[in-house]
Amino acid sequence: MVDATKNTLVYTTWGRKTAKPVNPNVAAKMVSKAKRPLLVTGSEIVDNEQLAQRAVAIGKKGVQIAATGHSITVFHGKDVNAKYINIHALAHYLGDKNWKGFDGEGSYDMIVFLGHKKYYLDQVLSGLKNFSDLKTIAIERHFMQNATLSFGNLKPEVHVEALDEFIENL
Amino acid sequence: MSKISTGRFSIEDLENVQITIGKIVGAIEKKVEEEGDMGPTPKPGVSGLRDWDHQVLSRYQPVYTPMCDQCCYCTFGKCDLGGNKEGACGINLGAHQSREFLLRVITGAAAHSGHGRHLLHYLIERYGRDHPLDLGPSNLLAPNVQMVTGIKPKTLGDLEEAIEYVEEQLTQLLATVHMGQEGAAVDFESKAMHGGMLDHVGMEISDLAQVSCLGMPKSDPDAPLAEIGMGCIDATKPVLLVIGHNVAGVANMIDYMHENKLSDKIELGGLCCTAIDMIRYQMDTGGKPYAKVVGTLAKELKMIRSGIPDVIVVDEQCVRADVLDEAKRLSIPVITTNEKIMYGLRNRSKDNADTIIEDLASGKEAGALILDLDLVGEVAPRLALKVAPMRKEKGIKALPNDEELAALAAKCVHCGACELVCPNNLEIMDAMKACVEGDLTKFEILHDHCVACGRCDQDCPKDIPVLDVIEKASQKVISQEKGVVRSGRGQISDPEIRQEGVNLVMGTTPGIIALVGCSNYPEGTKDLYRLAEEMLKRNYIMVTSGCSAMDLGMYKDEEGKTLYERYPAKFLGGNLINVGSCVSNSHISGTAIKVAAIFAQRNITGNYEEIADYVMNRIGAVGVAWGAYSQKAVAIGTGCNRLGIPVVVGPHGSKYRRALIGKPYEEEHWKLYDARNGETLPIPASPEFLLTTVETVEELMPMLAKNCIRPSDNNMGRMIKLTHYIELSQKYLGQMPDDWHRFVRTETDLPLAKREELLKILEKEHGWEIDWKRKKIISGPKMKSDVSAQPTNLKRLCKGEC
Repeated sequence: MVDATKNTLVYTTWGRKTAKPVNPNVAAKMVSKAKRPLLVTGSEIVDNEQLAQRAVAIGKKGVQIAATGHSITVFHGKDVNAKYINIHALAHYLGDKNWKGFDGEGSYDMIVFLGHKKYYLDQVLSGLKNFSDLKTIAIERHFMQNATLSFGNLKPEVHVEALDEFIENL
Repeated sequence: MSKISTGRFSIEDLENVQITIGKIVGAIEKKVEEEGDMGPTPKPGVSGLRDWDHQVLSRYQPVYTPMCDQCCYCTFGKCDLGGNKEGACGINLGAHQSREFLLRVITGAAAHSGHGRHLLHYLIERYGRDHPLDLGPSNLLAPNVQMVTGIKPKTLGDLEEAIEYVEEQLTQLLATVHMGQEGAAVDFESKAMHGGMLDHVGMEISDLAQVSCLGMPKSDPDAPLAEIGMGCIDATKPVLLVIGHNVAGVANMIDYMHENKLSDKIELGGLCCTAIDMIRYQMDTGGKPYAKVVGTLAKELKMIRSGIPDVIVVDEQCVRADVLDEAKRLSIPVITTNEKIMYGLRNRSKDNADTIIEDLASGKEAGALILDLDLVGEVAPRLALKVAPMRKEKGIKALPNDEELAALAAKCVHCGACELVCPNNLEIMDAMKACVEGDLTKFEILHDHCVACGRCDQDCPKDIPVLDVIEKASQKVISQEKGVVRSGRGQISDPEIRQEGVNLVMGTTPGIIALVGCSNYPEGTKDLYRLAEEMLKRNYIMVTSGCSAMDLGMYKDEEGKTLYERYPAKFLGGNLINVGSCVSNSHISGTAIKVAAIFAQRNITGNYEEIADYVMNRIGAVGVAWGAYSQKAVAIGTGCNRLGIPVVVGPHGSKYRRALIGKPYEEEHWKLYDARNGETLPIPASPEFLLTTVETVEELMPMLAKNCIRPSDNNMGRMIKLTHYIELSQKYLGQMPDDWHRFVRTETDLPLAKREELLKILEKEHGWEIDWKRKKIISGPKMKSDVSAQPTNLKRLCKGEC
């Protein structure tokens, strides 16, 4: 079992409310319990085969994928439910109770993030943290302090191991 | 009584007496009144355009991404506003973020306008108030100034009233940042828009003054090319490095060097917009600039650490705060020339040149503050000549040698501290490991992604000078950094607007993409080149300025040509236009205003709202500040936004704290009036944002094509724009865009080559009714195609409303 919670060092703080470090199995259980989970992928998965495979594997578990940046290119022909969207627009829509989601069935209640630039996701999560009730989980290589729950800072190989455990428990 | 006018007058019988009348109170207003074309909002106050802002903000809603959940403005606090709570003064996080955004905007606007005030003051002293504005073949000289203030300046002196207005308004805006007071985010947003608008006036004043007085190219598509890149600096000569944004001091150095035949004896290089402007200096009659551009702010610390400069002269704005400390370590004297940067140095403005040179060359003093720009002109070149051999003799050592490099890399314990603090979280540990094994390629790649902030140095527990390691390991690629950049050509001229305006408004030129702003790119400098090349091939008009203009010149094709050598610089589709430095960005907004004035014959004088409405609905222009980092960049962007021009920033731009994004799924926000009859006119959701961030250029390119779509496009124009949107989406995202059908009004809007295929999709996937015999759309589109429609947001402009 991977302990993904050890290193939660940050460079600067945002404020009082900071993410709780989470292990992959716990994160997976929370996603499994959610009614409408959404995986938001960033472009860092495009040139990282290890991450791309795991993103597809999460999609194959039936989780809707919001492919931001140009990460949609990873999902073509992979038989997963992925839609392109700009992440800043997505963050705006996620905070809107009238948004019907990608399938017209309504918005989402648990947002999972993978494959983003750290500084960029920090900002997106800062908006969601302060202006929405959404639960967010960062399964990134870096500790994302503005998420509700986040993996800690991980070495690349440990990160992949943690993702595998996360997928196993979905 | 005879009429008094401005100008210089001699009085008969009084020898040596000349009277100068600079300004007559109310004269400009009176002239405009006589001409009868003053619009409703000359010199608007803070609330003067509030209705327009509120209307715009109801469609493009603020999206806040705080950099900090707390407020520490006053001694009630600090207050935790997390979760949008209220602080002790009653402000909530949303309003506080909009206040923070406003503060950034007016800081940027103040930087440009302070620059403008300094230049104007200096140039009026030198050339006189009645020195004419000379900007090339244009009658509309100052579109931003005229639209905002109602003033139609003809001389340097006329610009003073406009800059006074800007200064007064900026003070009023700054006052609103004070604790408490405003509680509505939407009104802070309106104030930010006001600050952005003022910024374009301030910038325009700066550039009009310098173009008119300093012999800069005047709407010249053949403005000369200049060398650019760290690799083009000839370090065998004494090297004089200038950094900043205000060319006044450098102009004097160039004059001194020319007059004393030193131009070929001293290497003059520059960073940031001072560099861009010094290659414009005295280039209005042709020639080749001998000054060279080193590059952007991202090269600043690397250039200093290289030890190559013998003297550094700084002026204002994008200049690192530690230039003096860094230079001191390498015995490089620093001259500061502007009150905005004084570094604690002794004021030597009244001393003689010989004494200053002696004190600096001997190392008695590390630098000098010299506010007399004539003195700077003499001291800097002479000092470079004197110091260069002394520094060589001393054997000043800057970067580590090969053995030291290997030893430093070996010292790394791979703790990850540098990666944590790196703004781009670059993989420095991997590069260190490779370096130990003699492989420098990872560092060479890092070099282009590194913005040279130096934070890694500060945090290394082993005291490894990480930035020096990156720079030393990348010497091979740095030596090859040689390109060319076209000197800034200034405004787009009136005749050019007459020629191209119709294509822009009808959409047959697919759009204007303005590549502006700084060098805080997410994935290195080449993305900018890729973007520009793609859009130029597709016949977009590419306009550029400042640091973006520099970085575009750094890459060459297989034949060794840069984009500036491959693409002409006229205001036509498929042309690449460098307007100039940071303050020349006003010519980009000015171009949009000119289209309204010249092509559409709209009265722009004191008529902001109507012109912004025109620009928003008819001119397919998008600004891209891919590496925006400064407050000035966000001020420029916000000024564009108020004028109806959407702006995209790179992912670092999310740290500006707020975006303005529409919701295409809320149909009630995508409607206008038809000015012919006041009827409601459904419009496409484009631009779908006024300010947003994008993660990669692959995502950016189709987004740009989409957001150039405007309600006024004719069928040919819409077809061209849709073609690019679909093709770019397929090329970079590997798919048809999900929303392409929303922009189709009739079958003639469809890309010709794919018309049948797309009609089938419309029928099958969207339930549209198609007449297959005539290949016509019978029903489905939510908008009608009507080229005579007059789309407007403003009810008052509709027939029968006034």
